[in-house]
Amino acid sequence: MSDPMIDEWYPVALFSKLDAAGRDTLLMGHPIHVARTGSERVAATEADGRSLPVRIRYGHVWTSLGEPKKELFDIPEADEPGRRLVDVGVVRVRCSPLRAVENFLDIAHFPFVHTDILGAEPHTEVEKYDVEIREKEDEVWATKVKFFQPQAAKSAAGGITTDYMYRVPAPTCSVLYKTCPPRPGEWDVITLFVQPLTEELCDVWPWMALYDDEADMTDLIHFQQMIFLQDRSILENQIPRRLPLDPGMEIPTRADMTSVAYRRWLKRHNYTYGAQLVAQ
Amino acid sequence: MFPNNWCKWTPVALSADVPAGTVIPAWTPTGDVALWRSQSGQLSASSDRCPHRGMRLSHGFVRGEALACIYHGWSYGRDGACLRIPAHPDLQPPASINTRNQITTEREGIVWVVNEAQDEPPPSFDGYWPLRSMTFQASIAALEAAAGAKADISGLIRCTLGGETAFLLAVTKGEAETIVHVLADKNASLAQRIAISQAGEQLRRDAESADALEGAN
Ligand code: FES
Ligand SMILES: [Fe+2]
Repeated sequence: MSDPMIDEWYPVALFSKLDAAGRDTLLMGHPIHVARTGSERVAATEADGRSLPVRIRYGHVWTSLGEPKKELFDIPEADEPGRRLVDVGVVRVRCSPLRAVENFLDIAHFPFVHTDILGAEPHTEVEKYDVEIREKEDEVWATKVKFFQPQAAKSAAGGITTDYMYRVPAPTCSVLYKTCPPRPGEWDVITLFVQPLTEELCDVWPWMALYDDEADMTDLIHFQQMIFLQDRSILENQIPRRLPLDPGMEIPTRADMTSVAYRRWLKRHNYTYGAQLVAQ
Repeated sequence: MFPNNWCKWTPVALSADVPAGTVIPAWTPTGDVALWRSQSGQLSASSDRCPHRGMRLSHGFVRGEALACIYHGWSYGRDGACLRIPAHPDLQPPASINTRNQITTEREGIVWVVNEAQDEPPPSFDGYWPLRSMTFQASIAALEAAAGAKADISGLIRCTLGGETAFLLAVTKGEAETIVHVLADKNASLAQRIAISQAGEQLRRDAESADALEGAN
């Protein structure tokens, strides 16, 4: 495998749910085993016994089949006091890991897929926002994103215009910052960590660091799971299953600037696991 | 079977299965289609892939005279042209965005689709009316063997189902999948139609197990 994605970090388990018996799973087509070996220790091994590098961060266990050239990306907000850290769990989706990330970066689908929750007609317009590839961090960023939402979060009672920022620090991970109704001026953090099982199958591990201190934890988890199940009904029905990286096969508009930058960034790095390169 | 040398049209569904204001998935040799009927009753067959981000249009919804995609709500008219992009309500969508619709027609309760204009209309089956559409996980040869009849030159399989005469319109979808539209006498009673329909299910089991046996050998 010459794809540089082999050297990236991927989530492979929820740390809080991992015991000594561990879990068998798949990473980029390779069977691996992940198990707890101590109160703060985890081991990840390939089928032939080779041990893999491990990080425990953001509620998840991370590993890599290759030799990561960079440390796992930082989410500074994750360590801020006063936030509730929510392990949402896992949703298996029969789609490319890259399609799962692209869907997470998209707001134009809110009124149609998350109807009356994250969006509603006639409030469908996507206003111009800023997108850039930050060269120093080597990340895709979208800022000044705004969207009208009937119920933006578990803690939002009525409709409001919500501000968003999106960040792609790794090919299958995205961090979303959104206005936090109980604390104007602060941002809730919602992440999408995607484990590529194969090029057309992935486990999606959402995770949150919120300022919501009222909602019941189970309600928070159910709310987020419902959103991802709605997304799954889309992701499993896109053709082709893999993300087309060459222009021409799909038609973006201005609302898709984040997706366009994401695809360009993937292509630039030759991150092609889950991508379709030749228009068919 | 259809299409064939004499008939380029493919029977894809029964008219009754696509009421006004609905969309269903269907299959043609050119590819999957989203078959939809506008509020005023006009039928269209759009390719089942939204030009925007590839979502299946058969998961979409019909509003008025347009088909809308469930992902971002782009809507398309009967000629396939994109009419509206909800994320940019003031934008006139470029003419190049099109769902490449095929040609549809209906005859005696059957929807037929073809990808280029034909001089000949699809065939008519005088005195018969479609009962139901079924998908067999079996080859057409297994279907013919189970029905004890071969397709005639026009592509029609005439057989006996539940003691009644029935016609089968078969469409080959890949090597081991066949779509079958079952036709029965127009004047068949409800009891007779039920008998034919149940015999159709037995036929499916027979054809599918014949193919499974063959695969095991
Ligand atoms: S994929 Fe159909 S509108 Fe976006
Ligand atoms: Fe979504």
